[in-house]
Amino acid sequence: MNIKKITTRFKKKIKKIITRDKISTILFLIIPIVFVIIFIYICIIWNIVVSLSDWEGLRPSYNFKDFGQYIKLFTNKIFLTSLWNNIVLILIFVPGSLAMGLFLAILLDQKVRRENVFKLIYLFPFTLSFVVTGFLWRWMYNIRVGVLNTLLESIGLGFLSNKWVQDVDFAMFWVCVVLIWQYSGYMMLIFLAGIRSIPESHIMAAAVDGASSFQTYYRVIIPQLKAPIFTGFVILVVFALKAFDLIFILTGGGPGYATEILPITMYKEVFNKKHFAYGSAIATVLFLLIMIIVIPYLYSTYGGKKNERN
Amino acid sequence: MKEIKIGSKKMRLPHPTRVLLYFLLIFFAFLALLPLWSAVMTALKTQEALIYSNPIQPPIKPSLDAFGTAFNKLRIPILNSLTFTIPATILSCVLGSMTGYALTKVKFRGANTIFLLVIVGIFIPYQAVLIPLVQIIIELGIYGEISALILTHTAYGVPICTLLFKSFYDSIHDSLINAAKIDGAGIWRTYIHVILPLSVTPFVVAAVFQFTQIWNDLLFGLVLSGAGSNQPASVALLNLQGGFVTAWNVQMAGTLWYTIPSLVVYLVLGKYLVKGFMAGAIKG
Repeated sequence: MNIKKITTRFKKKIKKIITRDKISTILFLIIPIVFVIIFIYICIIWNIVVSLSDWEGLRPSYNFKDFGQYIKLFTNKIFLTSLWNNIVLILIFVPGSLAMGLFLAILLDQKVRRENVFKLIYLFPFTLSFVVTGFLWRWMYNIRVGVLNTLLESIGLGFLSNKWVQDVDFAMFWVCVVLIWQYSGYMMLIFLAGIRSIPESHIMAAAVDGASSFQTYYRVIIPQLKAPIFTGFVILVVFALKAFDLIFILTGGGPGYATEILPITMYKEVFNKKHFAYGSAIATVLFLLIMIIVIPYLYSTYGGKKNERN
Repeated sequence: MKEIKIGSKKMRLPHPTRVLLYFLLIFFAFLALLPLWSAVMTALKTQEALIYSNPIQPPIKPSLDAFGTAFNKLRIPILNSLTFTIPATILSCVLGSMTGYALTKVKFRGANTIFLLVIVGIFIPYQAVLIPLVQIIIELGIYGEISALILTHTAYGVPICTLLFKSFYDSIHDSLINAAKIDGAGIWRTYIHVILPLSVTPFVVAAVFQFTQIWNDLLFGLVLSGAGSNQPASVALLNLQGGFVTAWNVQMAGTLWYTIPSLVVYLVLGKYLVKGFMAGAIKG
């Protein structure tokens, strides 16, 4: 047998494997892909269709009304309030969690004894269900007998006792505090991994140049944390738009509409008032807001480089 | 640095900034644990003891009454939660592992696009699919059944599991799969005989992550479980505080019962949960 014959036979065999593989690959992927198509893409499109209809009440109705629901949306006070609350949430919660996370990461980076114990404790709030956080903080924030007010009273700081989330003007702020409490540990984890991945030589070089440890952080370490800061930012903003469970339990959107955000307004419109079309218009706005952030992020993380390689 | 002598040993006085450092570390640890601490203390008190003590004081006579009351109300919901969380965790991990494998190791055009389209699902707000989802579940005739929650959590778990498994499979060398291919093994046999035995770590990571996520869910439970006896623990807990008298000790005890499974997972398998968080962060 000459070499040529062997190679052609080998090629044929490979070809056969490839065509057989194609069919089995399709069979292999069919269940998860069908799940994704139905439960994500069809549902999203379906939801948009509902938002263009006049469906109110329990029975589905698909008489199309064009963008009527959207026009109603942007003239509705409750919708605009909850959109604004979502923005406030982003403006306080996102920088707050990033700063606290970075601060904790820097604290833990000081060759701390029992580092792992502290890490375990700081990350603990993030592992709790939002349902649990909601209940724990209702107790913390209870005005009459709650933890914070009685604690402040007992250490002589009674004048600091507060109405917390019952205070219409500051309710959103106190909601943000709870979320920062829950997310700081997670951000710490991301930043700590970022700090630890900076080559020792960079830090040594700064030390040799006589940089104080504050300067080292400010000029050498933090500038190199762009990637984790960006990742953290995206995670936090997306979460701030989606947050539902915690606020639903902690305040239910109240007092009044002081802490109502889009996901809660949508839920109430649909499942309490049965305004299906209107609620799905809110959901569509929410979806678009999130995609504006997520698509560029996914593209920058997975798009460019991978395509070149293929 | 100052030194003082105690006996024959030299002992260094800690630098003031180190003192400040540990003070801050302990202060933040205190803040992180304060709500849980006070929940435990409150749950251990009777209703009368609650009035005469502040919420972070340990009870003088610890009582398990509140835990008992809460348990009676949450026993069935907690069982419900376990009944859908465990199968949904396993199913979404298996599907995620299959997708992750096919999209990394079976070279075909469009794999990266499919991958991107799948992981968009991690970010979507569930409100944007809620109305159609409820319609699908009603059409399937499983509204209010445990199986509705198994199906839903499995389906929405596929994207994150795909991401977790893909980031692991990316690190497996292609030569291993090529070797199997040359031996004539197709995609199924390669997956079962080569990939699965290597996947113990990502399975634990994904399973711990999914278990926590599904266990902690509220929204799907609210809209899919109906008013019947199939409510998950999260929804039952919400209804527990809906009673007219707010018995804080019972509420806190209920919250703690509901936390125990995920707390145990965190304390025992925290290392893997952290890996899941990180994979979700660095990539997704």
